[in-house]
Amino acid sequence: MSNIPEDLRYSEEHEWIRPASNHVTIGVTDHAQEQLGDVVFVELPEVGDEITRGAEFGAIESTKAYSELFAPVTGEVTEVNDSLIDAPEMLNKDPYGDGWMIRIAPAEESDIDDLMDAEAYREHIENEK
Amino acid sequence: MSDMKKTVFHDRHVSLGAKMVEFGRWEMPISYPNGTVEEHLATRRTAGLFDVSHMGRFRITGRGALRFLNHVLTNNVEALDPRQQGSQYTLIPTEEGGAVDDAYLYCFVPDEYLLVVNASNTEKDWEHLNGFLGGFEDVTMENVTDEESMLALQGPNSRAILEKLLDDGLLPEPMRNSVSTAAVAGTPTRVARTGYTGEPLGFELFVPANRAVELWDALVAEGAVPVGLGARDTLRLEAGLPLYGQDLGVNSQGEEMPLLSTPLAKVGLSFAAGKGQFVGRAALEKQFEAFGRIMRRDYSMMDVLPRMVRSVAVAGRGVARTGSKVLKEGKEVGHVTSGTMVPCCVVEGHGLESRLTDEKKLRSICLAHIDSDIVEDEQMEIEIRGKKVPAVVVPYHLRSEAPPFARPIIFDHEPPSKDLPQGDEPTQVRSLLKKSLENHVWRQKECINLIPSEMTTSPMTSLLSITDPSCRYAEHRSSKAFYDEEIFYYQGTDFIDEVERMLHEELCKFLGCTEVETRVISGQMANMAVFSAMVDYLNRTDRKSEPRRIARIMNNHIAKGGHLSAQPMGALRDFVARDPQTERPAVFNFPVLVENPFKIDVPKTLEMIDEVRPEFIIFGKSMVLHREPVAAVRRHLDDRKLDAVVMYDMAHVLGLVGPHFQEPFKEGADMVTGSTHKTFYGTQRGIIGGRFEENEERYQLWEAVQRRAFPGSTSNHHLGTLLGLLMACYEMNYFKDSYQTKVLSNAKAFAVALKDSGLDVAGDPEIDFTETHQVLVRVGYGRGPEIARRLEDNNIVCNYQAMPDEEGFTVAGGLRFGVSEMTRFGMEPDDFKELAGIIHDVVVSDKDVRDEAKALRQRFLDLGFCFRKEDYADLWQDLHELIG
Repeated sequence: MSNIPEDLRYSEEHEWIRPASNHVTIGVTDHAQEQLGDVVFVELPEVGDEITRGAEFGAIESTKAYSELFAPVTGEVTEVNDSLIDAPEMLNKDPYGDGWMIRIAPAEESDIDDLMDAEAYREHIENEK
Repeated sequence: MSDMKKTVFHDRHVSLGAKMVEFGRWEMPISYPNGTVEEHLATRRTAGLFDVSHMGRFRITGRGALRFLNHVLTNNVEALDPRQQGSQYTLIPTEEGGAVDDAYLYCFVPDEYLLVVNASNTEKDWEHLNGFLGGFEDVTMENVTDEESMLALQGPNSRAILEKLLDDGLLPEPMRNSVSTAAVAGTPTRVARTGYTGEPLGFELFVPANRAVELWDALVAEGAVPVGLGARDTLRLEAGLPLYGQDLGVNSQGEEMPLLSTPLAKVGLSFAAGKGQFVGRAALEKQFEAFGRIMRRDYSMMDVLPRMVRSVAVAGRGVARTGSKVLKEGKEVGHVTSGTMVPCCVVEGHGLESRLTDEKKLRSICLAHIDSDIVEDEQMEIEIRGKKVPAVVVPYHLRSEAPPFARPIIFDHEPPSKDLPQGDEPTQVRSLLKKSLENHVWRQKECINLIPSEMTTSPMTSLLSITDPSCRYAEHRSSKAFYDEEIFYYQGTDFIDEVERMLHEELCKFLGCTEVETRVISGQMANMAVFSAMVDYLNRTDRKSEPRRIARIMNNHIAKGGHLSAQPMGALRDFVARDPQTERPAVFNFPVLVENPFKIDVPKTLEMIDEVRPEFIIFGKSMVLHREPVAAVRRHLDDRKLDAVVMYDMAHVLGLVGPHFQEPFKEGADMVTGSTHKTFYGTQRGIIGGRFEENEERYQLWEAVQRRAFPGSTSNHHLGTLLGLLMACYEMNYFKDSYQTKVLSNAKAFAVALKDSGLDVAGDPEIDFTETHQVLVRVGYGRGPEIARRLEDNNIVCNYQAMPDEEGFTVAGGLRFGVSEMTRFGMEPDDFKELAGIIHDVVVSDKDVRDEAKALRQRFLDLGFCFRKEDYADLWQDLHELIG
C-alpha cells in the first residue's frame, strides 16, 4: 500500500497539496509515481504564470507514457522546483519531499476546502482499482 | 491475466516483484522494482538478463529447408555456417515488398534452422509460412516455442559471467552472429552472439524449457541483473534497432511501409543467385535501386520509398512519442515511430581512456518516419503537446564497435581539442628541434624498446639513408627490346643502378631465391603489389573483359594474428572476389589448434585446402609465436596436383630467415614478402622475393609483380633508404648467424622468466612459449591498453594486443613484446630475466620502476651485429660532415 500522509490534501488527479500561510505546495502522490514508473521528464509552468483549477498546467513523462497535470487550485505560481529538470527521478524517490513540483498563491481559499483528506483519497484509490 | 501464457521464468519474475503486463498474449515483466532506468543502465554497465521466451521459435529441418527458407525470407540462408557465421538478421517479406515480420535465423548444426520471430506476430508468421510449405519437398516446420526457452544476456560483463559458468564447449568466436553449443551451469545451451540492445558483448541462449530456470538462477547468482520489457525497449531504441509495428512493416500511423523504409532492413536483404525468385524479389529489387539513389541524394525514385525511418535527436526540451508529428519549415514531413527519454552513463575523459561514470543523464531521442530527401544534420521540429520542439537527424545514437561498452553518442558533443604549441616559424623551429632531441634521447638512451615490429638501424645504415641520392628519382623498367636490361628514365642514376643490382644479389643470397623486387617502400605495399600482380596474372589470356579477382584465398584470421596487409578489410580488399554463396570476401582462414590458437592446425588446414581449392595461400602474421607449415602445405598441394600460389608474408620474421627459424623457399613458398625493418634490421621498406625461373610459365606472374611495383605502386622509390638497406643487407648477411640464434634464445629466456615471475605467458610451455622473437603475456581481459600505457610511463615500450578469443583492440587483454631490438643492443638471457622482474612489478604491483628501467637501458647503448664506424673512420667523417 502506498504512502498517504495524513496532513496533506489530495486531488482526484493524484496530486497532493500542502497548504501554508500564504501559499500551497503541489506534488504528485506516492501512488501516482508508482503507477507512472520511472519519471524521466517533468514539464512545469514558470514563476508568475496563472494556473486555473481543472486546467492543464504541465506534464510528467515516464518511460512508459506521458501524463498531463491538472491544477487542483487556481492561483499564481510563486516558485518552481527547477531541480526536477536534471533529476526527474526525485519525483519517484521522494514524492512528498524533494520531489515537490510548484508553489502557488491560491486565489480562492475555498478551492482547498474542496480537496480530499487522506482517508477520502485512500478510498478514491480503492474505487479506481 | 489468467488466460495469458506464462514463460517458465514466471515465478521468478513474480518473486522478484516485477510489474507484469500483457505482451503478445504473454504475461511478461515490464520492469522489476529498480525500474526501467536502472535496468537500462545495469545492462550498459554490467549485464542485463532478459526473459525473451515469449518470442516465437520455429524449427525448420529436412533436405528442402534451405530452399524453403531462401524463398520465404529476405536474407541469404546459404551464407549461414555454424563454424563461421551461424546466425543472421532476416525479414519475412510480402509479395509486394512489405514485411510480415522481422526475425533472426540461427543454424547451430548443419541443415537445421531456428527462426525466431516477434511474440505478437507468432501466429500470423506461422500461418504465412505454412502457406508456402506445400511448394517444397522434404521440409518440416515445428513450433518449438514451448519446448525450448530463450534468454538474452547482454552487457559488458556478459562474457565473464558465461565464462565462469561454462562447463563444456566454447563460447562463440568473438564476432557478432557467431554461434556455439556448450554446457552452461550444467545446462545444454546453444549460444549465439546476438541481441537487441546494441551491446557489443551480448549473447542469446537457447535451453530446454525444463532446465531453463536452473540457468536463470545461475546467471543471476553471478550478477546478471533481470531486465524487463521497458528497458528492452529503451535499449533497442538507443541502439537504433527497429520494432515491428512501429518502425518496421507497419508504421505508427498503422500504414504499411515498404521494407527498405527501415534502412537496417538492408542488412537482412540479399539478392544472391541461390535465392531464386524469392517472395517479393521484384518489388525489393526496385526498392533497393531507389534506396541506392536516395543514399546518393538522387531523389528520382522517391515515389518507391517516399519516407524512411531515421534516428532523430530532440534538441529542445520535451519527449517525442510514437505518433508525434515531425515538421520541417512548418510543413509536416512525417511522424515519430518510437521515442522516449533514455538514460545514459556520463563519460569521463576521452578516446581509449574514456570511462563510464556512475553519474547518469537522460536524453530525448526517437526514430521517425520522415521524407526520404531529409539528410543528416537537417533541422526539424517535432510537435510535442502543441509545442514545436527543435530536433535534428543524426546518423546514430549509440556506437557498438568499442567493446566492452556500448558508447552513447550525444549529437552536439564535441571532444576536447588537443592544443598545439603556438609561435612564429623561428620559435617553432627551436621547439621542434628541442622536442626531437628529447624524443631521440628518450627512445635511444632511456627506454627499453620491445615493440616487435620496430628496430634501430645501425649508424652507417642511418647515415647512408640521408646521403644523396635520398632526394633523387630513378624510375626504371626492364625492356624486352633490350634483352630485359633495366632502362632508366633520368640521368645521374648510374650509382643507384649499381646499388639496386647489388641489393638484389644480397637479398637473393639472404632469402635463398632467384628474384627480388626492392622498389616497394613498405611491407604493405609489397603485399598489394603481389595481390595486384595475381589479378593481372589470372587475367593474362584475356585483356579485354573486365578482369576477375582472386577467386578463393586462404590466410590467417586477423584475430589469430593475421595482419591487416593480408585481410579483406586491409590491403586485400580490392583484389579478392566475393564468394557467390556467402556474399562475403572469398577468404578462408586457417583452422587453429583448440589448445593453442597461435598455431595452425595442419591436418584440418589440408582438409580445408581440398574443400576450398584456393588459388592463393597467404602465410604470415603479426602476432606470431610459431613457424608456418609451408612445407606440409606444399607437399599436400603437390600430392593433390593443386595449382595454388603460396606466399609467405614474413614481415615480422624476415630477419630470422635461415636454418635457425625457417627457410621459406626451401620449404616450397613461391613468393615471400616482408618489411625490412622489424627483425630484419634495415631501413623502413618492403621487399618481394620469388622463386620463379625464366623458362617457366609462372615467370609471367613474376613479371607482373615487377610491373605492379613500378609503375604500379611507386614512382619515386625512396633512394636514400634503398641505399641504407644495402648497408643493412651486408650487416645482416655477415652477422645473421649469431644475431638470429641470440634473438631466438633471448625470446625463450624472456618468456620463461616472465612466466616464472608469475605472469601469464601465452603459448606452448613445452617449447618455452615461442619460436620467434615475440612473447605474449595475458594481463586480463580489457586491461592491455591501460597496462601498456603504464609500462610506457615507466620507460618500457611495448604494445597492447587483442588475444585470439577477444573481440577487438579496445578489450585487448594481452601485451606483445619483441626481443630483437634490445638483443641488438647486447641484452642477454640474464638481462631479460631482470627485465621480466621489472615488468612484473609494473603489471602486478603498479610499482614505479622508471629509474630501474632507465638504469637497465643505460647498460645497453651500443648497437651490435653491425659494422663499426670506427673501422671506416675516414669515410664516415667525410660523409657525416657533408650532411650538415
